[in-house]
Amino acid sequence: MAFRRTSNAERRTDLSRIVILFWILLSLPGKLVLAEDYKLELSEIDKKPYHLGGYLEFRPVLNGLDRGAALYQVQFYNQNVGNPLGVTNEKLQLEGSLEKGISRLFARVNTDIQNSYQGWTEKTTLYEGFLSVKPSSALVLEAGKKTMKWGKGYAWNPVAFLDRPKNPDDPDLDLEGYSVFSVDYTKSFAGPLKTLSFTPVLVPVGDSINEDFGDRYYLNFAGKLYFLFYDTDIDLLFLSGGSKTPRFGFDFSRNITPNFEVHGEWAWTSQAKKTPVDENGKPSLSEVNAQSYLLGLRYLTSRDTTLIFEYYRNEAGFTTRETEAYFSFVHASYDLYRRTGNDGPIQRAANFSQGLYGRFTPMQDYLYLRISQKEPFDILYFTPALTGIYNLDDRSFSLSPELLYAGITNLEFRLKGTFLYGERLTEFGEKQNDYRIEFRVRYFF
Amino acid sequence: MLKVIYILMVWLLAFPAYGLDGNQLLKQVDRNLAPESYEAYRKIINIEPDGKKKEFTYFTVKKGADKIAGLFLAPASEKGRTTLRVGENMWLFIPNVGKPIRITSLQSVVGGVFNNADILNLDYTEEYHVEKIEESGEEMLLMLKAKTKSVAYDRLKMWVDMKKKLPTRLECLTEASMLIKTIYFKEVKDFGAGLVRPAVIETDSPLYKGFKSVMVFAKMKKRDFKDEAFTLTNMPNIDSLR
Repeated sequence: MAFRRTSNAERRTDLSRIVILFWILLSLPGKLVLAEDYKLELSEIDKKPYHLGGYLEFRPVLNGLDRGAALYQVQFYNQNVGNPLGVTNEKLQLEGSLEKGISRLFARVNTDIQNSYQGWTEKTTLYEGFLSVKPSSALVLEAGKKTMKWGKGYAWNPVAFLDRPKNPDDPDLDLEGYSVFSVDYTKSFAGPLKTLSFTPVLVPVGDSINEDFGDRYYLNFAGKLYFLFYDTDIDLLFLSGGSKTPRFGFDFSRNITPNFEVHGEWAWTSQAKKTPVDENGKPSLSEVNAQSYLLGLRYLTSRDTTLIFEYYRNEAGFTTRETEAYFSFVHASYDLYRRTGNDGPIQRAANFSQGLYGRFTPMQDYLYLRISQKEPFDILYFTPALTGIYNLDDRSFSLSPELLYAGITNLEFRLKGTFLYGERLTEFGEKQNDYRIEFRVRYFF
Repeated sequence: MLKVIYILMVWLLAFPAYGLDGNQLLKQVDRNLAPESYEAYRKIINIEPDGKKKEFTYFTVKKGADKIAGLFLAPASEKGRTTLRVGENMWLFIPNVGKPIRITSLQSVVGGVFNNADILNLDYTEEYHVEKIEESGEEMLLMLKAKTKSVAYDRLKMWVDMKKKLPTRLECLTEASMLIKTIYFKEVKDFGAGLVRPAVIETDSPLYKGFKSVMVFAKMKKRDFKDEAFTLTNMPNIDSLR
């Protein structure tokens, strides 16, 4: 595999290009749209049977690597990369729809291009592609690839039985869906129960369909029952069928006062599997009936500060002992490789990092806090924020300050840093990075 | 003789001020502003002190006293976002996020001086009762008080053109009568089917000096909807109502 160390001069050039681009874009006039004073032309609101749109994204990232961290060692044990390590990412996300009568075809395609120490890579994925038929206002049938996005939590969703895991540090990113057949049947009522909605879902899993959902050659059945009851959103959810172990749960969301919202989720998973690794790299399989739950709140102050706070518990996650054992194994394997060139153990350690050990928040107890301030100092369309994720088990954490500016129509700028803190053998202490700085520009069309 | 008729007419016109039911007048204002169930298109323009503008095109549907939903048509960064209000519950759906989140009336999905309560506004009679009514030149001044604590503005002062039974100006106040914003109703226009109402609503605020937001209405018409159109499940499909 060919790779190239990025020189300091090249990193300074990349950084100065980013700064110049940032200032050029900021100085563009805010009126990038034809603003006809106080007029709404009918051509602006004509409905067409088709739509094509999306966004283009440019996202350079600077990774400050932690060469002593276990997840650095499994990733780079036989490579010599620069530190910090620069990566540039480009994304094109296209979405289109076509409507005829009661039917609608929708697709969202995502293309990621990356230039890193491994050279250029490109990946194009169909995130969603489905046919929707709406015979009445109460009934919608959909078939194809789509995301379900179940759950009320912001950073975690224990009841998202049909979704891929999301990054709690960036939970709004859209994800690839699964191929499903679903029905939404909705009824409205007067009285305390205002809405009732039932969504049954079929999820087939085979060699070329949903192959990464779970065990193959099963037709899985899931469902969600939604109520709006006494001004509270409530969902009852379940999944069964064989590709994954049976599970069920509920979630809720309610405004206690207009500016204070509470939400929660609870899920019970039958025979949840995990494969902890001991200090010698020996895996063991454990199956437990596990609860996972989340309790959160969102509060808006009179000064337009939004606070989102969540507690998350996942009984199927790794304990402190299990993660310490794995990280100890990684360090021992890395030392062995450095001394003898024997890469067998470190490669095994790298394989384990592709599973639960490499996932976001793989342990059991976490706190999440996000504070964002709308337009401080009267700077319009500017929103700084700070996000913290704290591992209650090993007391390691991450802090992510960010600055978001959306003052130019169809352009969005975000500068975000993520800083990881933790002792050795802790989750955030053993991540590949000490810090990460990312600048993201999105152009919507 | 003409003098007598003139005096009689002035006297008769003055009489209603003393016998007028404020809540009835408010109901008339509501119906003159919009049918109980309707669809409408509007453009929301945020204007900064230096003249820079940001514009949003928005499709709205309303049913009855407490159901209203909206869909952003432009700009591209907002297209596809939908909002829903059912009574005191409000939600925002962002297609990329993929699920509705609860929002409050005091936030603003578009920024600027208009907030969610202004954009997803219910009938005034739904949220306010008239405490007092006074003559103010050729207009009537209605003093409105919020029915519950969850309403965005605790008090309103509404000036009503008595010929057209339409508001001309609205001051939104806190409980302590501090001015939050002023809303001006302008350019009365015939939208057809007997609907004659202001086509332009402007607002400014002492809290945002130099800033102004404008709402321009187009294509408002009476239309009936099924209740199921105003549910969380239907939020991704509001475009199908167009």
